[in-house]
Amino acid sequence: MAQDDLISFFTRQAEAMGAQVIPVDGVRDIGPQLVEVLKSYGRKVALVDSPVAREAGLEAALAAAGFHIEKDGAGFARQVDTGIVEFDYGIAETGTLAMDATGLKERLAAMLPLTCVALLRAGRIRANLSGVIDAYLERGNWPGYFTLVTGPSRTADIERSLTIGVHGPERLLIILVKDNGGDRLGR
Amino acid sequence: MAGKEFRRRIHRALNNASLRGALERFADAYIISREQVYAGRDFAALRERIAAIKAGAAGRYEELAEQFTRAVEARGGKVFRAKDAAAAREYIYRVAKEHGITDIVKSKSFASEEIHLNEFLQEHGITPHETDLAEWILQLMPGERPSHMVMPAIHLPKEEVARVFSRYLGEPVEPDIKNMVRIARRELRKKFLTAGMGISGANIAVAETGTIVICTNEGNARLATTVPPVHVAIVGYEKLVPELKDIVPILEALPRSGTGQPITSYVTMITGPVPAWLGEGEGIKELHVILLDNGRTRMAADPVFKEALQCIRCASCTNVCPVFQLVSGQVYGHIYSGGIGSILTAFFNSLEDAADPQSLCIGCRRCAEVCPAKINIPDLVLKLRERVVEKQGLSGGYRIALRGVVAKPELMHTLLRAASRLQGPVTCGRPFIRHLPLFFSSFTAGRSLPAIAGKPLRDRVKDLERPLSWPRLRAAFYSGCVIDFVYPEIGEAVYKVLGREGVQVTFPRGQACCGAPAIYAGDRETAVKLARQNIAALEGAGAEVIVTACPTCAVALKKDFPGLLAGDPAWEGRARAIAAKVKDFTELVYELTGGRQESPGSPAGNGEKQHPGELIPAGKQTVKVTYHDSCHFKRHLGLDRVAREVLKGRQGIELVEMRESDRCCGFGGSYSIKYPEISRPILERKLKNIMDSGAKLVAADCPGCVLQLRGGLDQLGSDVEVKHTAEILAASEE
Ligand code: SF4
Ligand code: SF4
Repeated sequence: MAQDDLISFFTRQAEAMGAQVIPVDGVRDIGPQLVEVLKSYGRKVALVDSPVAREAGLEAALAAAGFHIEKDGAGFARQVDTGIVEFDYGIAETGTLAMDATGLKERLAAMLPLTCVALLRAGRIRANLSGVIDAYLERGNWPGYFTLVTGPSRTADIERSLTIGVHGPERLLIILVKDNGGDRLGR
Repeated sequence: MAGKEFRRRIHRALNNASLRGALERFADAYIISREQVYAGRDFAALRERIAAIKAGAAGRYEELAEQFTRAVEARGGKVFRAKDAAAAREYIYRVAKEHGITDIVKSKSFASEEIHLNEFLQEHGITPHETDLAEWILQLMPGERPSHMVMPAIHLPKEEVARVFSRYLGEPVEPDIKNMVRIARRELRKKFLTAGMGISGANIAVAETGTIVICTNEGNARLATTVPPVHVAIVGYEKLVPELKDIVPILEALPRSGTGQPITSYVTMITGPVPAWLGEGEGIKELHVILLDNGRTRMAADPVFKEALQCIRCASCTNVCPVFQLVSGQVYGHIYSGGIGSILTAFFNSLEDAADPQSLCIGCRRCAEVCPAKINIPDLVLKLRERVVEKQGLSGGYRIALRGVVAKPELMHTLLRAASRLQGPVTCGRPFIRHLPLFFSSFTAGRSLPAIAGKPLRDRVKDLERPLSWPRLRAAFYSGCVIDFVYPEIGEAVYKVLGREGVQVTFPRGQACCGAPAIYAGDRETAVKLARQNIAALEGAGAEVIVTACPTCAVALKKDFPGLLAGDPAWEGRARAIAAKVKDFTELVYELTGGRQESPGSPAGNGEKQHPGELIPAGKQTVKVTYHDSCHFKRHLGLDRVAREVLKGRQGIELVEMRESDRCCGFGGSYSIKYPEISRPILERKLKNIMDSGAKLVAADCPGCVLQLRGGLDQLGSDVEVKHTAEILAASEE
């Protein structure tokens, strides 16, 4: 599959699994998008440092818009509304996000708050799980804590009624960053 | 016979409307979602791969366990090999004590339930908190049993959950699911943030890398393995696979077969200890993996039951099981439920504990069709039954019936003839009676049972066997007991249809019961005896094919005889030679008439060949026929499509499909006598599907099913008829 097809397949699957996919044309667009989207979900944000977050200047953008930003500390991510984390790969087949989550902050920010913002470079979408496993194996060092996330936290334990947000986020927003600007992808 | 307490549990479950309703609704929805989520996928190939990976691993647990241990230790984790439940419990307690831990958060783990960890910890002053929502609810309800392996609280209505939560919080809680889930999040979050240890199970353990893989939807396993400073994973040996790539097919099947999802919300793979917050700052957490044996290596060394270690615990076998759907996991007990559960229980607990649960299997084989690990669950259950009988002996009634009568064909035939005379007044001139020594049982099944025929087939064949001058084929007819003594007219129909096709049919007189009642009761001794007698009788006939019109007999001849006599130098080869000749009646008809089936589209009723008697009205009219798939006919012999082709090819027949045509009718031979309370609701569902189909006639290829369905329809006062395919063919071609 061509990367464009993978992207649209990924988007469809992720949304079918209950995630919200927000495509942006480049890193510079992330800040304004997030400010817009997150304001109704609360102003406290746990931000995990990562290449995309840095390139996007997220900290400054959010701070300027009045968000309170947590970057570490003993109670990291425990009391915030939103956690922002960059994921390593997307899996088109199931609309899944994959991350080497060995770092504690990556895990806490993606697990504890009610809203999780996943930053993902569109070029990092692979067709299936095997492709992603291979990518880590090629890297040579299998992660200590490897995580796959598909949609929000869910349960059907009471009367089989699907309810989201039981222990993890009830909202999964995927910011899909298209690397080469808007033209080629028609946006 | 099932124990009293076990009977009581069955009774309670059958009378629990909310349990039954919930399981039924779930099972119906499950079948659809499973189908959708596997659409376009090669399930057969997938299960082959999983079976190969898991079977291969089961052959070398020791090697894999060592490799796994080395990998975990290389990363700084600890591995403890626990021989049994006690060793595992003690180890966990030691670790907890070392750290002065008072509270533990747990994500769902069968292994921890298997070792009764919670009770043990509580006795030692440590509080375990279940964090899977359903497990937590059950934990708050002391004495409540889980009803399903994957959804243990599926039987609880939301009002009940609200009462439980109200009691826990000491304040009123509305039965609003969304709100109750919020409460669970809030309450359990406190536990996650304060517990000193997290305990998890694992769905897969990878030897090559020392990785444990955990799937959840709620995200509780992620929290339990991230927040507390100590993580203990309890992992059965059967979770081991050699390589990382082996997880791919398992992860493809587990959520699909489990809940009809393409993937669970979270898949967590932990390889060695990782950073955690340790009081003052970030450090490396402590990781302990307990590799639990508790009967698993004994199982792996068992040539028969090793197969059950392939199980990936998806519970799809129970989701499709007509018996489980009625009684739930609350009846099976001992953590693992359904047919597979009884096998695991036999090894993880004891054979005694498995005796009652295994007896619930009616042998319909639906589970074997859907198992993503390709485990032949019903055959394993039968093997288990044999072992139970070996150890505990046959119960009194079975011993008299099987060893005293069925094993002695002469006596049995005499008794059956006597029964046919004695029952005269009871039948009141109707072909059904309500009380009859069928299978020499004094139990009433609460269903009409047929009368024993006045003249068995074996006494009628003299008139049926007409020598053909140039027979196309020489066939020996193996009728089986039901056709011989209850429905000889089915046998006559077989003679008629085959005679018309130029087949010379003979009836080997020495034939006896195929032994199925003994096989399904675990009585190997009687089964072997009957196998030998039948083989000798059938060899004597010198026929090219051995025709059966009973799929249970066919399976006995084709598959069970060679199995029973394997390793017996005098008999093994003979059993195989006979087995190779066995052919089902309808299959034979299909082959013989293959080239000249009447096309269903051709105008019916142009006279001549059509005098289908009362069954099929002459002229342009057609009769609506619905086909019931007998379990053995479809799942052992694989002839479901062949039978439909044969029927469709007849004029005057309009085939309409009923819902769930391949769902068991609840007969199962003596099962319907042993567990009438389970057999009956299974039958009722079948009857409803038949009625809803609008058909006037039900066709089936198993005389046992014919018996069960006729009995059920008779009780309903329905005029829908049930016929064996042979009878329909005989009538339609007169
Ligand atoms: S064979 Fe039928 S009754 Fe037995 S466990 Fe499987 S599905 Fe249930
Ligand atoms: S026996 Fe097969 S179907 Fe049943 S739980 Fe195990 S893997 Fe799933």
